[in-house]
Amino acid sequence: MTEANVKKEISANISRISSEGADYVDVRYYLDDSSETLLLYDGDLEANDTTVQSGIGVRVLWEGAWGFAATSDLSGIEACFRKATTNARTASRLVKVPLSMGVGEAVKGSYASPVEVDPFSVNLQDKLAFLTGLDNDLREDFIFKRMVYVNLQRKKIHFQNSEGSEISKDLVNVFGMIMAMALDTDGEMQRRSMSLYSTGDGTTGWEMVTDPELFSGHAARVRSELAELIKAEPLEYGRRSVILLPGQGHLQVHETIGHPLELDRILGYELSYAGGSFVDLDSFGKLRYGSDKLSVSAYGGIANSPGSFGFDDEGTPERDYLLIDRGILVNALTSRAMVNEANEKAGREVFGQSGGAARATSFFRAPIDRMTNVNILPGNDGTEEDIIASTEDGIVVDNPVSWSIGSNREHFHFGCEIAWEVKNGEKTRVLRNPTYQGHTLEFYGSLSAVGDKSTWIVEQVNNCGKGEPNQVMQIGHGVPVVKFDDVITGERK
Amino acid sequence: MLDANIRKILMQVRDEAADEGIQATLKLHHEKSHLMRIGNNSVSLNTSEDLMRLDMEVTEGRKQGSQTYLGAIKDADTIRGILNAAREKARMASPKTYDPIPDEVETTISEDSQFDLELADIDPSVKSGAYRDIIERLGGQYNFSGSWSSGLMEECLLTTANRNELYHIGTDQLFSVVLKHPQAKWELTDNQTGWRASDISIDKTINTLSKLIPIYEDNDGFKAEPGEYTVIFGASAVAEIIGMAVYTGLSGRSWEEKQSWTTKYSPGEMILGEEISIVDDPTNPETFMFGFDMSGRKRGIFPLVEDGELINFMYDSATAAKYGKNPTGHDIGSSSIVLDTGFGSVDPLEAVKDMGRVLYIPALHYMNIPNRSKGIFTGSSRFNAVLVENGEIISPIFSSRVTDSFQNVLGNVKVISSVSESVNGSNTYGRRNPVAMSVPSYIVSEGVKITDSADSF
Repeated sequence: MTEANVKKEISANISRISSEGADYVDVRYYLDDSSETLLLYDGDLEANDTTVQSGIGVRVLWEGAWGFAATSDLSGIEACFRKATTNARTASRLVKVPLSMGVGEAVKGSYASPVEVDPFSVNLQDKLAFLTGLDNDLREDFIFKRMVYVNLQRKKIHFQNSEGSEISKDLVNVFGMIMAMALDTDGEMQRRSMSLYSTGDGTTGWEMVTDPELFSGHAARVRSELAELIKAEPLEYGRRSVILLPGQGHLQVHETIGHPLELDRILGYELSYAGGSFVDLDSFGKLRYGSDKLSVSAYGGIANSPGSFGFDDEGTPERDYLLIDRGILVNALTSRAMVNEANEKAGREVFGQSGGAARATSFFRAPIDRMTNVNILPGNDGTEEDIIASTEDGIVVDNPVSWSIGSNREHFHFGCEIAWEVKNGEKTRVLRNPTYQGHTLEFYGSLSAVGDKSTWIVEQVNNCGKGEPNQVMQIGHGVPVVKFDDVITGERK
Repeated sequence: MLDANIRKILMQVRDEAADEGIQATLKLHHEKSHLMRIGNNSVSLNTSEDLMRLDMEVTEGRKQGSQTYLGAIKDADTIRGILNAAREKARMASPKTYDPIPDEVETTISEDSQFDLELADIDPSVKSGAYRDIIERLGGQYNFSGSWSSGLMEECLLTTANRNELYHIGTDQLFSVVLKHPQAKWELTDNQTGWRASDISIDKTINTLSKLIPIYEDNDGFKAEPGEYTVIFGASAVAEIIGMAVYTGLSGRSWEEKQSWTTKYSPGEMILGEEISIVDDPTNPETFMFGFDMSGRKRGIFPLVEDGELINFMYDSATAAKYGKNPTGHDIGSSSIVLDTGFGSVDPLEAVKDMGRVLYIPALHYMNIPNRSKGIFTGSSRFNAVLVENGEIISPIFSSRVTDSFQNVLGNVKVISSVSESVNGSNTYGRRNPVAMSVPSYIVSEGVKITDSADSF
């Protein structure tokens, strides 16, 4: 079936279902959803995989209840619409709180990720030659295992809804990681890694992989830090300052600011899987989330990030707004129906409009409230060196090894790859097996330094899991170097 | 269900490829999935997906490439196109430093012992009716949420090594309900799993939650200060701990690459308490049973730990090839891990009546591994967690973090339930691929480290 015929059939079915009484209908037609994964492990090409998928997902709102259906068989478009409608009508028989999309205007538009070199246009052998070069850069006698990984994604999506919106998107994401592992003096494995990041103002093609600053020029640093790590002492338990480099800071933001501010979690729609949130509707405009050094934005006008996509999966244009303003919680990550429900439930306008955060991982999943780019804004506390110089007793940590967060995101425990001890304003030595834990509000309340723009980069997340059925999502986090005081670090004996 | 013609076409392309001397593995995966999600006492999503995927892997000597296609798969040309894409990737691949072990379907197998047509075709109104019943009987003053996933999954596996075919069809479901107090914010849950429509009992759910509601309504939360406690881990928590212990400690890859808490041990040595026996048993009906793996090898009962002694590691074919070992039938997404039951009473409260103050943690939320080499895990209590004194439930407990090692928690077990439970560990991030473990309904461990607790549930 041609693309034009698919779109014609989609239009006809939206009209039909709407005329039958649907409150709202939308469709995402994935013309192409391709992903290529290349993994060199110890120099062996252990993954050389491409996934290609296409199909349609139909969402119908009927008397306040969602029905969804998806098919990979484009000869079954009408049946897919019927299934989604039947599902919605069945769902509408058990509705205490009817969902509403409100009144929406038709949105027409398109978005394409800024790309210099289409990663799917690069010859496989050229890609492998480049990655093999990176792998060679990681080689050294003491290194026990090496890993070089890239994941390249393209999604061509046509969106259409019953309000007359029609949007096309051509999204490209590029992820990369290098890692080296070696045995420490106790015979236990240590690792050091580096993931491809962006500066927020560039492009998202293969050129990110070959850029020495963003990715390909970090092997020597990874090797040398690992060499120090395997000779290091373990971190001792105690309270001290913790300075998070962006490799760790982005996950801290992701888990303890991003997730608790997803409105569907706040409203209780994730309780049976991902969990809830300690934030409630009364918190907005009142709750002191952190010190006045903490300001956090959604989207943030970042050009090249997996969290930048032009329009969300309800057709809402991406919006740049503050979630936390100088420590005070002011907004959430929102979609249309969740905003309407929250305002109705609160009996006042908590949220003025959708934040454009309705996202689905693929055609066969329905959109849910998601992070876009969730960013700590740069501060005025200087460079990383300035922040270290102002620290009496602390550690600098980078890159997660493990993360475990309370079900309402009220507390957390992180393990990191590496720590540098800081004493009297100077880095003194490397420490291994660093961990730290805390309670979210107390932790952000102890935020005492926020690095300037020179410390701010956009870290990419390729594997954020949420939702039922489960969905993996790609997200960005612009974060500077940040310092927290009086944090519990290490493990009790 | 899969059109018989698709399987014939797949075999036709397999035979063509074999005649051309291509070494290929063809895997067809079909799912018909349904999920009803509940939020705020309403159906918040009612979703159906009908998806077909074809995975094609081609090996040319030491070079490999694979292509997965999710879309309409109806004719031989589509399948040939996917095969050719995989061939092209293999042709351009860089060679490995070792010889891959070829996939080969050892014998033709067709499995349908866990297929229930009633569940495959379940009417969503059955699910919404069940949730309505629960809400009405337990009280609409609470906030109910949950999800009920069900579906059928078919797999067809062929290799060009021979004319054999592996075929599996099965159904599975995972039902959950969460009851939350809108002001006090405590949360209770009940989960059930199975492969038959009749495996879910709404009365059981109502009974379970009814017993817990007064405890939570009538008592304040207990804040467990950091320290060592005797803990009853419920089936869900046991499955989390065992699953992570197996994943990080008993896979051949982790052990060979010294990334495991078992790195310093060899088969025959004691690694856990002598009460602990773990087996991968694809004949156990409390798991989802797969009699073959995705390299075509037959799967059988495979002991991992016996009376605390390390017996075997699980080797997938890539790891086996790299390290010169034999694959053990573990190219799988769905193992059938079983932790043997013990001799404890059916009632966990009876088991701890002489143990003084005990924490009962039925489930661990968001478990992770800060230190694989030391086998240290961390996760926090969530649903249904209570403080017990001398066998009597005293109060609910606030969210409490356990950070401890597998060796300590599974080395200081005082009681293991005599009754097993099936715990569904499936996720739906990718394709439908059901997995469940069979574990004792509880274990009691002494000296468990609680390292943090919140002031809320």
